[in-house]
Amino acid sequence: MNAINARRISVVAGIVLAVAIPAFMADYYRSLAALSAIAAILILSLNVLTGFVGQISFCQYTFAGLGAMTVGALSGAQGHHWSFWISMPLGVLFAALGGFLVGIPALRLSGLFLAILTLGVALGADRYLFANGTWNSFTGGVNPRTPSRPTLFGYHLTSQYSFYLFALAAFLLVAFLVWNLRVGKTGRVLRAIRESEVAASTMGLNLIKWKLAAFTVSAGIAGLAGGLLAVQIGSVSPASYDFLHSITVAAVVVVAGVGSLASAAVGGIFIWWLPELLRHTGVNAQFFQLILGLLLVVQLVIAPQGGVVKLEHDLKRVFGLGRRGQDLELAEVL
Amino acid sequence: MGILASGWALIPSFTVIGLVLGGTYALAAMGLVLIYRVSGVLNFAQGGIAMFSTFIAYQIAVKWGLPSIVGLFAAIAAGMLIGYVVERFTMRPLTGRPALTKVVITIGWLLILQAGAGLIWGATSYHAPVHLVSRNGFRLVGTSVIIGYDQLTTLIVALVFAFATAALLKYTMLGTSMRAVADDPDTGKLWGISVNRVTAASWMAGSAMAAVAGVLITPLINFNTYSLTLIVIDAFTAALIGRLTSLPWTVVGAMFLGIAETYPRAFFNGAGVSSLVAFLLMLVTLAVLFRPGFSGRRTV
Amino acid sequence: MAMLEIKDISIRFGGVQALDDVTFSLKHGEILGLIGPNGAGKTTLFNCVSGVLKPNNGTITYEGQNLAGLKTDARAHLGIARTFQNLQLFGSMTVLENLMVPLDAFAKRGMVGDAFKLPRARYEERKAEEHARAILHFLGLSEHTETIAGSLSVGLQRRVELGRALCLQPKLLLLDEPAAGLDAAETAELAALLPEIRARFGITMLLVDHDMALVMKACDYIYVLDFGKLISEGPPQRVSSDPLVVKAYLGEAEEVA
Repeated sequence: MNAINARRISVVAGIVLAVAIPAFMADYYRSLAALSAIAAILILSLNVLTGFVGQISFCQYTFAGLGAMTVGALSGAQGHHWSFWISMPLGVLFAALGGFLVGIPALRLSGLFLAILTLGVALGADRYLFANGTWNSFTGGVNPRTPSRPTLFGYHLTSQYSFYLFALAAFLLVAFLVWNLRVGKTGRVLRAIRESEVAASTMGLNLIKWKLAAFTVSAGIAGLAGGLLAVQIGSVSPASYDFLHSITVAAVVVVAGVGSLASAAVGGIFIWWLPELLRHTGVNAQFFQLILGLLLVVQLVIAPQGGVVKLEHDLKRVFGLGRRGQDLELAEVL
Repeated sequence: MGILASGWALIPSFTVIGLVLGGTYALAAMGLVLIYRVSGVLNFAQGGIAMFSTFIAYQIAVKWGLPSIVGLFAAIAAGMLIGYVVERFTMRPLTGRPALTKVVITIGWLLILQAGAGLIWGATSYHAPVHLVSRNGFRLVGTSVIIGYDQLTTLIVALVFAFATAALLKYTMLGTSMRAVADDPDTGKLWGISVNRVTAASWMAGSAMAAVAGVLITPLINFNTYSLTLIVIDAFTAALIGRLTSLPWTVVGAMFLGIAETYPRAFFNGAGVSSLVAFLLMLVTLAVLFRPGFSGRRTV
Repeated sequence: MAMLEIKDISIRFGGVQALDDVTFSLKHGEILGLIGPNGAGKTTLFNCVSGVLKPNNGTITYEGQNLAGLKTDARAHLGIARTFQNLQLFGSMTVLENLMVPLDAFAKRGMVGDAFKLPRARYEERKAEEHARAILHFLGLSEHTETIAGSLSVGLQRRVELGRALCLQPKLLLLDEPAAGLDAAETAELAALLPEIRARFGITMLLVDHDMALVMKACDYIYVLDFGKLISEGPPQRVSSDPLVVKAYLGEAEEVA
């Protein structure tokens, strides 16, 4: 079979499994599944920034937080009771604005100092913007906002399974859009900028415009993930969007690879199911952080590409399928 | 955030408070700058090393009841060991790779150290810090400000470290070797300098400084697995003001940062103002000091 | 009116005067050569024309328009294309993708159209692909369409870079050492290709190279640069026998020996 059909079949199979398996799970596990889908969306946001442009970001959860808090502030019980369908897009826009603002100083930085900037943004947000007392009408202060589940075509998505399907659909939609961007003009342009800024601008590309666009879109997607997270959990607390979370997702991305949509899904599952597994075997969930740190260090010292993507490469070689164009793995950037 | 009318009257005492705060930042930044200068790596795990070493001191001095000074030495030893392990096994094998790679590795170490400490000593609990110096204070003549001896010690130790390290780098063989390695490791090898030994030494020294910083600072802030990591951005900003290379200027930068974070609190009520100042200063130093295309040492 | 007018261009790096009052012009439809020993300032001059460097003095006028202050991408939109001495291909992308980048830069469709695969976006993408494939065909690169650019030989990479520049649909093409790394046969091919490009696409060219064979064969007129100054000019035959030029090159050969 040729590459395109194989890919289509595996995608369809994946979707069928993703829909079917949670149907047999208890609600608790379904919520984990929903959280995984949302985390996968967040990883996709990093995909856009890193896989395309080669920039690194340690503040994705900050952008997610902007989205989540917008939804919480506007749709929460203590807030304005606006519909999720209004607050969510606003959350995405607000997060995108955040990305744009961060992108401006990021234009003249690269590599190491860009990493410092994003870390500074995450820490600055933790200590100032999201801190109690600064903007409580937005963040909720010490009283977490509690947005409720949305209604879709008259069907209230309160059941965990229904919301899981909603989150899954969101992931698939974002994956579809990101895929289209990647194989189309946007992906090419951003990869070109990553490869050679001089050549890219000589070819007529406005570097500023595109780099800012990458940051903005990446942050917007993160904001989407944040809004979904707010509604899945049912409460918005700034501590869930702190820099430690941002570092964790960045670490997962390095370990699992960022170049493919499958690795986004795997990363999402990894973040939520591994700690759960640890809990089940009686081990302290802190081990997850420890394992992640170890994997990260080992990964970078030993292997040049993210684990999942390398696995994908190997599998593809086995089945004789090629890869159209090449996305950069975060580990390759490093 | 309300504006306090009595702002200006508070300035003298807030100056002192700001300087002391700057002292903690300076102490936290010292090791960072040394490691960066010699090996070109920005050690994001610096706060984690400080934290872990301090927990060792805690284990020895508080849990096991040995004298605090023993705890301090244990912390220093632990710090040096961690620094050595990090350099020897996760930095040296990656010679020639971009600096960013190594920085991400230090982030991995941060996760490891933080999780490790949480697993061994408990993550969120409050821990009694190790008191090296008496918590009593003295009153500054002419004001109503009380300075704790522990606060003053932090400041003094920071200054001592700064100038001692600067002198080490300038006047000793080891220091000269370190500077040679920093400038051009290949030429350094030609001169018979063991680049490996020198780099390892810088990591061990920097981590030892982190350990001392941790033990001294923790009585002044909350002592848990998280708090020292948070200081990292202030330490970085101070180090950036010192252009990541000059230790005395790092101290100056730290003092400036400490005062800049403290003064607004004389006028505004919110606690977040200090953080805002820290963040803005970091932005400004990053933007101003680093011209387009500057990326420090690209490969190390 | 000349297409490109370089007037009194000077630029200094630290203690070195890289370009010193360089003045010449390029006529429409010409293939102009710029030669000179290593370090003479040729690439520096190119960087000034394409906007990568800013000269301390002098003006560069393109089609009557002063280029001062225009960023590199703006100059590309005016029709100035360029290849690079040290090959700045997008190495991890396929040959086809490399050629589509300049077409992307000029395309109207935005990210939204891209993401949702709107009909207009799909149409533009298809058109761009056709254009790129046509250029690949013209350059004899069709069999390498899906190859990763960085994996090709130097000779082929240079042709890909040429193709990429052609996709800009430029009026002026700056070729920076296009024969570097090519063997004699490949250089001869290139020398034949350049006039063909001019004939087919109506592009004016400014060529900088060491390789005498290429320059003699392909150029209509030549300027010689040494230590940042123009020391000679003329049709190829005249310049190759100019004693000043010989000395400039021999001087270099002596140092090497």
